[in-house]
Amino acid sequence: MKTIGKRVTVFDVYDRAKTGPKVAENDWDCKIVPQTATALKQKYGIKIDKTRIIPEDEDLIDNLWAAGLEMLETTGVYCIDTGRVIRYGRDEILQAVTGAPDSFIYGEGREAITVVPRAYSAAEAPLIQGGPTGSPCSEDLFLPIHQAYAQEPLVDAIVDGVLQTVMGKDPVPGSPWEIMAVRSEALFVRDAQCRAGRSGMGL
Amino acid sequence: MSPAGVIAADFPGGMRRSDSHEVSQLNELKIDAGALVVGAHYALAGNIVMVEQMPIFGGYAGGLEETAIIDVATTINSFVMLQATWHLDGPIHVRWGVTTAREALAVAGHAARAVEKHTRFILGNQYYTLAGPCTVMCLLETAAQAITDTVSGREILSGVAAAKGVLTDRFSPMEARMMAEAARAAAGMPVAAANVLLDRLVAGYEKGYKTAPGGKTFSQCYDVKTLTPTAEYLAVYEEAVGVLRGLGLTYWDK
Repeated sequence: MKTIGKRVTVFDVYDRAKTGPKVAENDWDCKIVPQTATALKQKYGIKIDKTRIIPEDEDLIDNLWAAGLEMLETTGVYCIDTGRVIRYGRDEILQAVTGAPDSFIYGEGREAITVVPRAYSAAEAPLIQGGPTGSPCSEDLFLPIHQAYAQEPLVDAIVDGVLQTVMGKDPVPGSPWEIMAVRSEALFVRDAQCRAGRSGMGL
Repeated sequence: MSPAGVIAADFPGGMRRSDSHEVSQLNELKIDAGALVVGAHYALAGNIVMVEQMPIFGGYAGGLEETAIIDVATTINSFVMLQATWHLDGPIHVRWGVTTAREALAVAGHAARAVEKHTRFILGNQYYTLAGPCTVMCLLETAAQAITDTVSGREILSGVAAAKGVLTDRFSPMEARMMAEAARAAAGMPVAAANVLLDRLVAGYEKGYKTAPGGKTFSQCYDVKTLTPTAEYLAVYEEAVGVLRGLGLTYWDK
């Protein structure tokens, strides 16, 4: 019996970010990434017809998967803070592919939804996460805006906006006002869901 | 947002473990140490983890095929690097800054099908339209992406950040309603039929990019006391539905 390999963790990734090959960020952006992608496009003969937005050719679909997998294995991922490349072995990538969760429960109580993979041909529609998606919201309208989304019958979960101000202050990242804003956003959305009668709704 | 800010959202009465906890990769195939700090917190807290990344068509990746390859690589990386529960995509057009442009849709559609066929990953996509709320164009952009995402096998649709998501209060739940209804209209549609429809639908709005209407704010789209859409927006919605009906979608006839 084959031994099940250990999955890469975020802690392994951090250690690799401190010890991986050193690369100039400009070389990564302008040479390594585009040149590798172009080489893999040629290797796998990938050609997309943009009048067919969804691929119909099974070989194209397979080749795109193979190219993407090889892209991650070949380049790895660049850590901008250490200037080093985080590399994975192919077995580590495949371990993550096979070990990834294939379901989760989103939300609580009667609003809980079990999310499972759906095929491209499925008659069931995807889950709807409705909301401003990180767009700026004014402080005075944040609650009613999110309540209006929570009241939409076809919206299953909320993707919230961001407070433009909190108590009139700019929530600059890294400042105490950022913490106030983040906690206020969560409280407002929970309140909005409750007011819509959907307190268990996911966020 | 700083790692402290992200982590601060997890508290009793705030974000729950059953919510989707976001952490982002950077363009293209890059990461910052702060994201790893956030990822460590999520892993140890046992949270649902949603890893987000928006590959840029026309950016460092280059053309259509290269961006699609990088989108697949980035999607896989979410599960390797940050132990994602699900991946939130969002291929974006470098010139227009939206996910609803033809090229952005093609990248999303191809990447989703490639990943859907070879894994059991749970995939989402996020919505950034060029036109603003209370316009037919915004609703048709939204419908095009919802059809693409549904027929390419995605599980979660997330949006809508109308008018590129940069203007204060310039969005409304009516765009989310269209996202949901167009997805229901397209679910189960054969790919070839969806492609014919999408080609016509996108051709109908892509000519108007330079004059895209900015639309209205939430308080101009909704009665802010009753939280109901205005008669004007309901009429605009019906007009957009009429266009989709004309393209062959029968959902609204049932």
